[in-house]
Amino acid sequence: MRRIFLVLALACLSGAAQARTDVNILARTCNNCHGVGGVSAGASMPSIGGLQRDYLRRVMKQWKYDERSAITMSRIVKGFSDDEIDALADYFAKQPWTPVVQKTSPEAMDKGLATVSKICTDCHGKAGSDPDVDAPNLNGQWARYMELELEKYRSGEFKMPHRKMKKAIHEATPADAAAAARYFGAQSK
Amino acid sequence: MSSIDRRNFLKTLTAAAGASVLSVPKAWSASAVKARVVVIGGGFGGATAARYLRMLDPGIEVTLIERGTRYTSCPLSNEVLSGSRDIKSLQAGYQGLARRGVQVVHNEVTQVDPVGKKVSTAEGNSFSYDALVMAPGVDFDYGAFKGLTAEISETRLPHAWKAGPQTLLLKQQLEAMPDGGRFIIVVPKGPFRCPPGPYERAAQVAMYCQHHGKKKSKILILDSNDSFSKRPLFEEAWKALYGYGQGGMIEWVAAANGGKVEQVDPGAMVCLNGFDEFKGNVINVIPPHRAGKIARDAGLANFKDAWCAVKPENMESTAHKDVYVIGDACVGGDLAGNNAFPKSAHMANSQAKIVAASLVAKINGQPAPTPIYTNTCYSVVAHDWGFSVVHLFRVENGQWVYIKEGSGISPVTFGTKEAPRPVPRIYRKMEVDYADGWLRNILSDGFS
Ligand SMILES: Cc1cc2nc3c(=O)[nH]c(=O)nc-3n(C[C@H](O)[C@H](O)[C@H](O)COP(=O)(O)OP(=O)(O)OC[C@H]3O[C@@H](n4cnc5c(N)ncnc54)[C@H](O)[C@@H]3O)c2cc1C
Repeated sequence: MRRIFLVLALACLSGAAQARTDVNILARTCNNCHGVGGVSAGASMPSIGGLQRDYLRRVMKQWKYDERSAITMSRIVKGFSDDEIDALADYFAKQPWTPVVQKTSPEAMDKGLATVSKICTDCHGKAGSDPDVDAPNLNGQWARYMELELEKYRSGEFKMPHRKMKKAIHEATPADAAAAARYFGAQSK
Repeated sequence: MSSIDRRNFLKTLTAAAGASVLSVPKAWSASAVKARVVVIGGGFGGATAARYLRMLDPGIEVTLIERGTRYTSCPLSNEVLSGSRDIKSLQAGYQGLARRGVQVVHNEVTQVDPVGKKVSTAEGNSFSYDALVMAPGVDFDYGAFKGLTAEISETRLPHAWKAGPQTLLLKQQLEAMPDGGRFIIVVPKGPFRCPPGPYERAAQVAMYCQHHGKKKSKILILDSNDSFSKRPLFEEAWKALYGYGQGGMIEWVAAANGGKVEQVDPGAMVCLNGFDEFKGNVINVIPPHRAGKIARDAGLANFKDAWCAVKPENMESTAHKDVYVIGDACVGGDLAGNNAFPKSAHMANSQAKIVAASLVAKINGQPAPTPIYTNTCYSVVAHDWGFSVVHLFRVENGQWVYIKEGSGISPVTFGTKEAPRPVPRIYRKMEVDYADGWLRNILSDGFS
């Protein structure tokens, strides 16, 4: 009896494992740049674990279909099927969002808060932790990554389909935008 | 351990309870631990394999044997030459792995017995294994250039193709070079680790010269090959930044034009191709590579006596059962050369994860996972100019398949074929930042 139970249990587990393994294997290919569980250890690379599923799906597909520019990601995702992209988005959305709290000065925080209150809160929440459905979390996101992303919105050389963000970035100077990025980067919750 | 890993771990343990009774081959279930895995070499390949084995299944005993106590990353080590990076920023220790329960042994592996499944070290200790992961990187074939020896590389003509003391020696030599001096890079016949590396190095040396009062200096690349990785991207950058070709700061000589060096004379500081002599103030000779000695001694180098052939589905050696070869020492993909697995840190890391996943599945009696291999390789040619190549490989019907759609170099031009325009500088600039972020993540992925 016990033996039969084990056989069954094993069969179920390995069936589940087969289905699960693929997305695990796929997701591990992201760790080199985005960290294990999507918590990045490098300032220019975003943490992605715990971002909204729909946001992740949409952005990856926009890269894949050349509706949005990225420098490396647009090349990589073209090798993934839409189903794989959905599975990756589900996988990373299920990870806990882990702010990587970065230090900054009180003056920079004041400056950042001023910009954030004026331009960002509407979609991202005051601390970046309460975003709209189509906006990513920003609390404890890498400031350097956010600065680079904001440069992409500002420069006009990149296809950035989010109209509201494009408009918002022009309401801030580059220095304001950098301060806002540092402000969000310093949020711990 | 993230919560997902912890969940997987619990599931794996439950599965293993059944597996040890039912489906693990006899030889594998002999010991009290689920299985013993020995990993040789704690570079990007070996460290990552050890880390993921423990992360995915702490019931497995993992012993990592590495001769050094501190690892220095080759990726981005060319930036040390220009002074834009401190060598310490490239280093990682093994404490992170030890904290995960990896038994880290710092010693030289001197013998592998793939039949008796045992590994011995210079200190005379021996380690039995159920599975062996071999990740010793490359050895340099000094004999390929007449006049070159290991000792000369360490003292006069450093290759700096293993980052560490030779990187610092080469940097000192560059600093001591007079304005108007000539820095020669001798490139071996491929395959070698980091195919774009020598050309990135030329740019980093040129950048140093430009900013340190050596604008009249020349960098001469003598190549044993007729083309190179990311060539249009390098040529564009060299031209724009440093001057390229006759009269420019950087000159590249293809094998067909006499670039193939046959002999070096460290006394006279010349390289010879059989006809001409090239005199240099600094001569950076990169010898041809082959799989690390311990892999060759173990009888694993069954491809051209130099590289270890492996099975696409799980990186198992085609020479010995239960031995897996990953990283620079292995050969895979289209063996003829086109689209073969590149010898890169990212590839080594990717292969390591596949080995870990397939071993964990095997040990727990689960079906083998379907592998997927990825690579990214950045080249930084100035403070604000970088580019990259990405690769994607899948396995279909037991064969490696290079996925063209998910691969390729940074754009060379924008616009259309008929009306191309230069890629905006901001694209090039951002890749410098991404290179650094990538390095921090890949080091942490393997060593934390
Ligand atoms: C200048 C340069 C730039 C590069 N840039 C990039 C880049 O941008 N991106 C990228 O992805 N790759 C890059 N690479 C390539 C990358 O460094 C290698 O592909 C990578 O290190 C391969 O990893 P590995 O684990 O196979 O070997 P290694 O990293 O060489 O590790 C092998 C380890 O095994 C140990 N070992 C060997 N034999 C024994 C023994 N008998 N006993 C005990 N220990 C042993 C060694 O001490 C070593 O630590 C670059 C390389 C160079 C030289």
